[in-house]
Amino acid sequence: MTIAQVIINSIIRASELALLSLGLTIVYDILKFANFAHTEFAVIGVYLAFFLNVALGIPIVPAAIIASIATGFFSILIDKAVFKRMRNSTGIIIMVTSMGVAIALRNTVRAIWGADARNYAIPLQRPIVTPWFRITSLQIWIIIIGVLAMVVFYLLLHYTKLGKAMRASSDNPELAQASGIATEKIITYVWFIAISFASLGGILIGMETYILPYMGFAIIIPVFCATIMGGIGNPYGAMLGALVLGFAENFGLYIDFGKVINLGGILPFSRELFIPTGYKPAISFVMLIIVLLIRPRGILGKKKEG
Amino acid sequence: MGFFNFLVYLAIMMGIYGILSLSLNLQYGFTGLANFGQVAFFCLGAYTTTIITLTFGMPFVLGLLGSMAIAGLFGYIISIPTADLREDYWAIVTLAAAEIVRMFFLNEDWVVGGGAYRGGAFGVGGIPQPLKSYFSPQAYPLFYLGIVLLCLFITYLIINKLTDSPFGRVLKSIREGEDRLAQAMGKDVKKFRIKAMAVGGMFGGLAGCLWAHYYGFISPNQFLPLETFIVWAMVIVGGKGNNKGAVLGAVIIIIFYHSTRFLKDYVPIDEVTLASLRMVAIGVLIVIVMLFMKEGLIKEKKRIY
Repeated sequence: MTIAQVIINSIIRASELALLSLGLTIVYDILKFANFAHTEFAVIGVYLAFFLNVALGIPIVPAAIIASIATGFFSILIDKAVFKRMRNSTGIIIMVTSMGVAIALRNTVRAIWGADARNYAIPLQRPIVTPWFRITSLQIWIIIIGVLAMVVFYLLLHYTKLGKAMRASSDNPELAQASGIATEKIITYVWFIAISFASLGGILIGMETYILPYMGFAIIIPVFCATIMGGIGNPYGAMLGALVLGFAENFGLYIDFGKVINLGGILPFSRELFIPTGYKPAISFVMLIIVLLIRPRGILGKKKEG
Repeated sequence: MGFFNFLVYLAIMMGIYGILSLSLNLQYGFTGLANFGQVAFFCLGAYTTTIITLTFGMPFVLGLLGSMAIAGLFGYIISIPTADLREDYWAIVTLAAAEIVRMFFLNEDWVVGGGAYRGGAFGVGGIPQPLKSYFSPQAYPLFYLGIVLLCLFITYLIINKLTDSPFGRVLKSIREGEDRLAQAMGKDVKKFRIKAMAVGGMFGGLAGCLWAHYYGFISPNQFLPLETFIVWAMVIVGGKGNNKGAVLGAVIIIIFYHSTRFLKDYVPIDEVTLASLRMVAIGVLIVIVMLFMKEGLIKEKKRIY
């Protein structure tokens, strides 16, 4: 594999992760709890798109859009039924509840669609081959959508009333409320934005590989890792974290650590030392633990919280 | 399986999960540590005893002590760097740590002696059962139940003693976010968190050891994060911060979990769907208890000093 290919793969992974971690971080920012159900909501979107695409024969693009919007509304519903009643509880209580929600959602999907891997009805991707790397048109779209989503989010946060209100609610909820910002309304929008983005991210992952009821759990640690790495509660941190993790996951397997240990041939250590592929998921776990040890607030973490 | 044997099986499961639930309760219920990686202790205990008794052929008692030691050590080591972290970070770090442990046993088959059908994803079979030759196959589960209940009883006594002691009161003050109070009284909060993880880990390892010798077969996919959340359901339903509650929670969840397996005799439903619905019910149960009866079935005795 060439280095260009590794970079391309890293960027693809980062785009997918960014879509998911962005939502996790804004929900944390406004509601102050780590939502362990975040990626499971995305799986709901993934399977809704599957239903629309495969059972009803709707093309994948409208199916993905409809599914993402529907999942956004679904998350508002769950918020009204569960999380709204817990606004005054401490983070740990809501976090444990979100874990309960996650288990229920994941297994509902499994009960309806079964535990086997499935595919969307999309044509087989033929890669564009260049001397340095190969990339499918789908993968190009993943990168474009990832970047677009980030731009849209930036515009939303800085140039709309909703964005201002969101930032105000995040900085000081009491003051925001006193200034006539309806916090509950903001929370509704935040859920919708967070979960539709996540659902889109999940669908893109599903299109690139396959879909499984378990995929939400498979990605929750990388998503948390990206979010925390950038500084939980900070949307730009989440994007940066996704980028760093995307590169770490791909370069982690590419780098010969034997050469790192012997400093490029200086020291008498001549073995090749690669991270075995079986440990690929462990890269994000280890990164997460290292980041928390060195800089618990994350790379772009806010200072105010103790 | 006869009905009587099924009851014995249920009781053994209640005992093993009761120990796990007591161990998590010490960490979450009393100390407020959101340990989402409880299954790591369970897994380490099971593999440690397998290595000691099967790979090295040493007696069960050594396996049991070794399991507790290794799992306790693991709890100690992972909490040294993480003990200062906030609860949500703690949750994700412990979840990640548990997955690393599972991945280790999935990828490294040499730890249990290697070979094509030994270790790794294939799992390990033939784990010896203690004193098996002295009993008839019918009577053995009853004897094993005795071992499990004895372990549960001892665990209960030790953890109860700990939580009733001044040590337990410090843990509770840490849980209530009164780090400064504990500090003002000259207690090093970090050390107490580490101790709670290490002691809890020891008993988690004990449960893993009992599990391995009961089934005689272990594999990495028995130690999915799902197991952790079943134990969480037990602590939450039974009542956190209360040792009787933790055991009661284990009894209830085990009955619920295993009684639903008979449902397929009456309702036309396949195994995967049934297993999924069972987990949906556990998830919903966690949410309902957290929403409407935060204290669980048995409330914590809050003493006024």
